[in-house]
Amino acid sequence: MEWANQLCENRQFGSKMTDSKYFTTTKKGEIFELKAELNSDKKEKKKEAVKKVIASMTVGKDVSALFPDVVNCMQTDNLELKKLVYLYLMNYAKSQPDMAIMAVNTFVKDCEDPNPLIRALAVRTMGCIRVDKITEYLCEPLRKCLKDEDPYVRKTAAVCVAKLHDINAQLVEDQGFLDTLKDLISDSNPMVVANAVAALSEIAESHPNSNLLDLNPQSINKLLTALNECTEWGQIFILDCLANYAPRDDRESQSICERVTPRLSHANSAVVLSAVKVLMKFMEMLPKDLDYYGTLLKKLAPPLVTLLSAEPELQYVALRNINLIVQKRPEILKHEMKVFFVKYNDPIYVKLEKLDIMIRLASQANIAQVLAELKEYATEVDVDFVRKAVRAIGRCAIKVEQSAERCVSTLLDLIQTKVNYVVQEAIVVIKDIFRKYPNKYESVIATLCENLDSLDEPEARAAMIWIVGEYAERIDNADELLESFLEGFHDESTQVQLQLLTAIVKLFLKKPTETQELVQQVLSLATQDSDNPDLRDRGYIYWRLLSTDPVAAKEVVLAEKPLISEETDLIEPTLLEELICHIGTLASVYHKPPSAFVEGSRGVMHKRLPARTGSGESTESPDVGTIAGGSGTETAPSIIPSQGDLLGDLLNLDLAPPTTTGPPPPTSGMQMGGMDLLGGGLDSLLGGDIGGSAAMGAGFGAVPAVMPASLNAPMGGGLGDLFDLGGGVGMPLGAYIPPKTVWLPAMKAKGLEISGTFARRAGVIQMELTLTNKAMSVMTDFAIQFNRNSFGLAPAGPLQVLSPLSPNQTIEVSLPLSTVGPVMKMEPLNNLQVAVKNNIDVFYFSCQYPISMLFVEDGKMERQVFLATWKDIPNENESQFQIKDCHLNSDAASNKLQASNIFTIAKRTVEGQDMLYMSIKLSNGIWVLAELRVQTGNPNYTISVKCRAPEVSQCVFQCCEAVLKN
Amino acid sequence: MISQVFILSSKGDHLIYKDFRGEAGCDAVNKFYEMVTTLTGDQPPVVMKHKELHYVHIRQGGLYWVATTKADSSPFTIIEFLNRLTALIKDYCGCLSEKSVRMNFALIYEVLDEVVDFGYIQTTSTDILKNFIQTEAVSAKPLSLFDLSNVGLFGADTQQNKVAPSVAATRPIMSSRGEQGGKNEIFVDVIERISVVIGANGVLMKADIEGEIRVKCYMPSCSEMRIGLNEEFSIGKSQLRGYGAAVRVDECSFHQAVRLDEFDTYRILKLCPSQGEQTVMQYQLCDDLPTAPPFRLFSSIERDTGGRLLIYLKLRCDLPPKRSVLHLNNNPALPLFSYSLFSSLSQELSSPDQSAELQPQNKAVHWEIPRFPGGAQLSALFKLEVPGLSSASLQEVGSISLSFELPKYTCTGLQIRFLRLSPIQPGASQRWVRYVTHSDSYTIRI
Repeated sequence: MEWANQLCENRQFGSKMTDSKYFTTTKKGEIFELKAELNSDKKEKKKEAVKKVIASMTVGKDVSALFPDVVNCMQTDNLELKKLVYLYLMNYAKSQPDMAIMAVNTFVKDCEDPNPLIRALAVRTMGCIRVDKITEYLCEPLRKCLKDEDPYVRKTAAVCVAKLHDINAQLVEDQGFLDTLKDLISDSNPMVVANAVAALSEIAESHPNSNLLDLNPQSINKLLTALNECTEWGQIFILDCLANYAPRDDRESQSICERVTPRLSHANSAVVLSAVKVLMKFMEMLPKDLDYYGTLLKKLAPPLVTLLSAEPELQYVALRNINLIVQKRPEILKHEMKVFFVKYNDPIYVKLEKLDIMIRLASQANIAQVLAELKEYATEVDVDFVRKAVRAIGRCAIKVEQSAERCVSTLLDLIQTKVNYVVQEAIVVIKDIFRKYPNKYESVIATLCENLDSLDEPEARAAMIWIVGEYAERIDNADELLESFLEGFHDESTQVQLQLLTAIVKLFLKKPTETQELVQQVLSLATQDSDNPDLRDRGYIYWRLLSTDPVAAKEVVLAEKPLISEETDLIEPTLLEELICHIGTLASVYHKPPSAFVEGSRGVMHKRLPARTGSGESTESPDVGTIAGGSGTETAPSIIPSQGDLLGDLLNLDLAPPTTTGPPPPTSGMQMGGMDLLGGGLDSLLGGDIGGSAAMGAGFGAVPAVMPASLNAPMGGGLGDLFDLGGGVGMPLGAYIPPKTVWLPAMKAKGLEISGTFARRAGVIQMELTLTNKAMSVMTDFAIQFNRNSFGLAPAGPLQVLSPLSPNQTIEVSLPLSTVGPVMKMEPLNNLQVAVKNNIDVFYFSCQYPISMLFVEDGKMERQVFLATWKDIPNENESQFQIKDCHLNSDAASNKLQASNIFTIAKRTVEGQDMLYMSIKLSNGIWVLAELRVQTGNPNYTISVKCRAPEVSQCVFQCCEAVLKN
Repeated sequence: MISQVFILSSKGDHLIYKDFRGEAGCDAVNKFYEMVTTLTGDQPPVVMKHKELHYVHIRQGGLYWVATTKADSSPFTIIEFLNRLTALIKDYCGCLSEKSVRMNFALIYEVLDEVVDFGYIQTTSTDILKNFIQTEAVSAKPLSLFDLSNVGLFGADTQQNKVAPSVAATRPIMSSRGEQGGKNEIFVDVIERISVVIGANGVLMKADIEGEIRVKCYMPSCSEMRIGLNEEFSIGKSQLRGYGAAVRVDECSFHQAVRLDEFDTYRILKLCPSQGEQTVMQYQLCDDLPTAPPFRLFSSIERDTGGRLLIYLKLRCDLPPKRSVLHLNNNPALPLFSYSLFSSLSQELSSPDQSAELQPQNKAVHWEIPRFPGGAQLSALFKLEVPGLSSASLQEVGSISLSFELPKYTCTGLQIRFLRLSPIQPGASQRWVRYVTHSDSYTIRI
């Protein structure tokens, strides 16, 4: 039956593929016929038959039944036929491993063939047959081929090592192929060198700690020499490998740059980009006042510009990279504005990227030119592009202060066209301009008001309402305008409703006499007739404010607003640094770190730009100026305006970030801050003061007269939060657990706020997380992943967020961790980089865990062992620290430490000084020995830490200090 | 590192599928086709991602050329590679089409096998590959009327014989292997693309030229070729030679096989062309055209009493009178408000071989001029019925874009002085030099 089915299928294929004779077989018993032809005596006929088989294979037909017949054709002198047979073998050997063995003999024989083409072909094909049994036969021929006299065979063999490593890494190491491969780096043939480098680079990625690609000045020199002789593709391998090298000082870095620079004029854009990557990275080490630095900057511009004359596909990829380069070093392309002007026949995705870069390059010098262009774009046909262009005008105004006036008049011109979506976009950006330059351009309000009726998009309506509310005192009929919006209150989107509420309250505070009715109307609409908790909450806040203290209300609602900042869509500096290291790769196109989209084992190593070091200094010395700190808390870019704070929220300044390009901001992001009035906002306001929060709770308790019953449910979570003030309250006495800190502020994660801490409970390390949804939409599909870290911490299970997290909801999750994950040394040692995903996006943050949670329960050493070990560890591994202001006696200290698995083994008292000898065992088996000296009456303790891995000492000390002080 | 390479027809048929690393299944092919066909307009199609697999593709010859990768590879490498691959296959099979790929699949598999190993690109040079490739190409040359037109009445040579037929360069390079009868031909093409923006006040706002010299060689034994450019050719802004009238470009880049030892003094490019096609030199010129842009346009837009929109266009070709323009398309973009369904167009054109139509989906009027001699002037009047036309909407008539082809003309003035081959080829060798300028983006604002 199967046979018959297959025939039917074949027929279908036959009738679909009508073009070529190989694809056209409607005859019966095709397989049978092929079999006969394959066994024919005539070479030509055999060849034709194998071709037919391969044609069937390509379209997805199963021709594995012909395996023995095809393999029989393998022994032939005809190279063309042999190649065809090998092609077939590569495809089907895996499904027919037993039969594949039949081919081994021929392979081994072919590896000895006098013709180098056949030798190479055999070794190449053998590597592609991913069958375990074959690999053992492969070793001997491979070893010979690696030393073959013909470079073509050697270069093929070099790649074969990588293939074999992929199938059986252990075998490759045992057979010593890696060493042979390393020798090939010094081969006389550049093609062999390039392949050896490529193979080693790939193998090295799966062994991050190995020293396979031993990059040192000598080997770098060899690579640079080979660079000039290689094919273009080989140059790419070598340049990518160079990019991983860390030069010792600026002089070396300059000399490498000098030798790489000629690659910039290569015709292959991939070579150019790899060269750009090397230069961008090594440039970081050059002092800026160096003449060469300026020369290099000048040399980088032309090749980047040239990329823009390529096909649209390449242009797009190039523009994504240029976008990064412009953010990192705007000076490179500051004179090249014109090349980013849009051509009418550019595809839309190229146009949008160009627009983004134009804004980034806009400056006082070129703003007139840019504006003229943008105005033209606003009359184009493509609606999306026109919208972006209009927004871009607004961004120019905000970025270049001198141009603001011109931008505003351009926008007014555009509003005159009355094209619906142009007007709406223009109003949205004018609102941002008002935010940036208050009390400057209010004369245009009249024109804006003329267009009220044509606004049908929520964002534009909300923007218009904000303007009316903000400048209510200057608009005579502000109350009428707002009232007209109020009529359809329930049909409006939440964004507009919230805006309307705030605007009317503002209006009331400015013109209290005429608008009392209006404000009551809106408050009751918001609190009583609405199901939306955010709207209700905001309504109540205003209500209470207005009813208790109107003066305070005025101070709060009409307070002076912080100015918005220029560019909020810049990529976060640490991410940018990493992306610069990945210029020319997929990461630079996605603008995401490779760890976000490359599966576990490969390429997740985080790359950093090197720090600038002088000739004498070592590379270790950190340069504060160039590297933002590794921990997440320090990386918050200063450019993010204070949108997230409570005051801002009350004033509803968060209408929309002035960002306009990049991915369209999700609606949830828009109102992010606006709804956390009861959630995080008050939380942070009350700042852990229990009395305060209780009062607040009581305050709310007094309101229920006005509060509909249904309100209690959603409020519950918020109030619960208020009382449950994080930090260790309600935790059983025991191991020290640091208070929760905010790891990922909502601002940076589209409304998801994550705070957390680490704990060790009953021998299990737990990451305790508090997830708060401060966005407007429901969050689902949570998942968590760690980057490799010093102690191999990894989630032991999935992140248990069972129900979707609705807006303003908070949940506590405890994630058990294991210590068997991949290991990579981090700086600082206890740094942990985390990625959290939800249905909206993937977010990254880093946090530091207290090393005490790695202290295992069986860390108590025998006294003798302790003594011996103490003596055994060399003295230079000992480090001494002071713990100040600690008012515990030695016993209390000992108990406290014991709770965190720091065990006191012995105690000695010498001259009123208590000496505690302690031992700690880390989860990865490292022992740490410590001596704590406590002098009665002296609050300052001295602790000496000795360990075979001295780099942990600092962490251990910090931990002891934290434990003792809590 | 490339995981897989596959070639799909525009309908999604699998033409070629090759897996290099065994890390992704062959269902990727169908997934790709599904993704690429459901893509919305504003999503960039270049790099797509599905689960762990990244797809990079280009479209050439009506086919999808796709490479997939799992690692954080360089999309530049992959796109360049795919472009080279198409060039290679064009060299080997003569032309790129579904038919030629289907007929030569064995050859293409063989090429792929040599070009990529375990995802590492090895070489894409036709010359090196020649040593390894065994399969003969099957030529899929379409029957062309051009071939017939070369035969004059009673077999006499026609004038066209002096011009290489445009299909002459679309044959496989290898087909002449072993047989001596193959034509010894070499084509040198100078191709320029011009993009121009002329402002509403007639001022030239931007003018760029991108050019390249392309060599397509069918000679099996050509050891050295010397291409002489205009002697007054200069690169960069400062380097003015002689008395002005120099042929100047801003930047130049060369193929790595080109030797430039005589370039600085004599403007001679020396190279050993490998069989097949290669771009020998690329150059750019920004904002400083040596001559006036080829077209000027005068327009007036008004509203007549009947509420119709009148667009009057006068187009002048500023080329020397001997030159002429082929296939000029002229697209005045219409006001954004024009509700396409209600608009109707009537036109008055200055000569009968021109045509014009309203393209509602593009909101544009398409005016086509088949041939436009240099120095001539053409005019057209378009009347559009647009409901709800207001005076403000006149401002919204967008810009006019032109697309055209100028044969035998280069905007930079770059010329090939001579083309010498050494050693002197035995038998009849034919050398062709062709010039053409295409419009890239030629926009005139109103």
